[in-house]
Amino acid sequence: MQGSRAAQFDLYKLYAKAMYNVALRILNYEEEAEDVLQESFLDAFTRIVDFRQETTFGLWLKQIVINKSINYLRKRKMEFVSTDEVSEVPDEVSFDDYDTRLQAEEVRKAITELPDGYRVVLSLYLLEGYDHEEISHILKISENTSRTQYMRAKKKLKSILDLKGMRDE
Amino acid sequence: MNNRLETFVKENRRSFDIMEPSPALWAKIEQKLDQKKEKKPIKLYLWMSVAAAIIVVFGLGWLYAGKMQSGEIEIADVNAVYAKKEVQFAGLIIEKRDSLAIFAAANPELYKKFTADLKKLDEEYERLKNELPTSPNQTFVVKAMVKNREIQLQLLKQQLLIINQVDDYKKVNQI
Repeated sequence: MQGSRAAQFDLYKLYAKAMYNVALRILNYEEEAEDVLQESFLDAFTRIVDFRQETTFGLWLKQIVINKSINYLRKRKMEFVSTDEVSEVPDEVSFDDYDTRLQAEEVRKAITELPDGYRVVLSLYLLEGYDHEEISHILKISENTSRTQYMRAKKKLKSILDLKGMRDE
Repeated sequence: MNNRLETFVKENRRSFDIMEPSPALWAKIEQKLDQKKEKKPIKLYLWMSVAAAIIVVFGLGWLYAGKMQSGEIEIADVNAVYAKKEVQFAGLIIEKRDSLAIFAAANPELYKKFTADLKKLDEEYERLKNELPTSPNQTFVVKAMVKNREIQLQLLKQQLLIINQVDDYKKVNQI
């Protein structure tokens, strides 16, 4: 089934930007994110017969984008589980201090500075709205690892923001 | 426990999706979509060719199997050298049998005995010939067939020799 070109363009206009940001947050490279976006839309358009109305087209497309992005990242040999894993779980991090000066753009930039494993887990949980169970399926890691990685990612994010705050003052 | 970050992100979710893909990307996707459309008929054509090839192969295989089952296989199909020998022997055998038949009238008892022996060998030969198409070791069967012919020939030679001597003896006695 081919669907009309105009309808395809409508879908593209509606989802391209959001999906591009999803891919970019995982990959951190604009070129790769664009490749993923292109492949995902082509996949979605050619496999549209497989799409069932159980979810929205957007969620279905997002799954394709995330899976492709993770595959790209794996090609770069990213390890989701760090070697010193399992043992301690860091304390919950407080962002109280940043109540007033926390700026979205600052946080967004700080996220790009996180190591691959942290960035992916944090993005999927915080921004794409997946829970740890879903993340464990997507990344093929344990739920506990996902939790630990998220805690560490948050801690790391705070320290990056701390440094920036110091620089700004 | 504090979830300020989570709350903050939730409240400012839109501010995180600010990057834009390059405007040329749709054109690329469109181009790829066009390529895929063109590919389809070629693919169908390819599948049809594959299907046709499979039918031809099966057809040939069926014909060949049919030929095998009808027992049309000859010694020459297995080994050309043995086939040549077999033809040579068969020719000589017919020749000797004809010679033997000349003495038949004079020595009917002896001739009967001789032909009984030959008949046994002939039956054995037919059995081997029937076995040949289905045998896992055809060269072996062909060898046995040629050997059979050779034995027939030698037997005939001896029979001729004996019958000649008997004939001579009778003639001498008559005189």
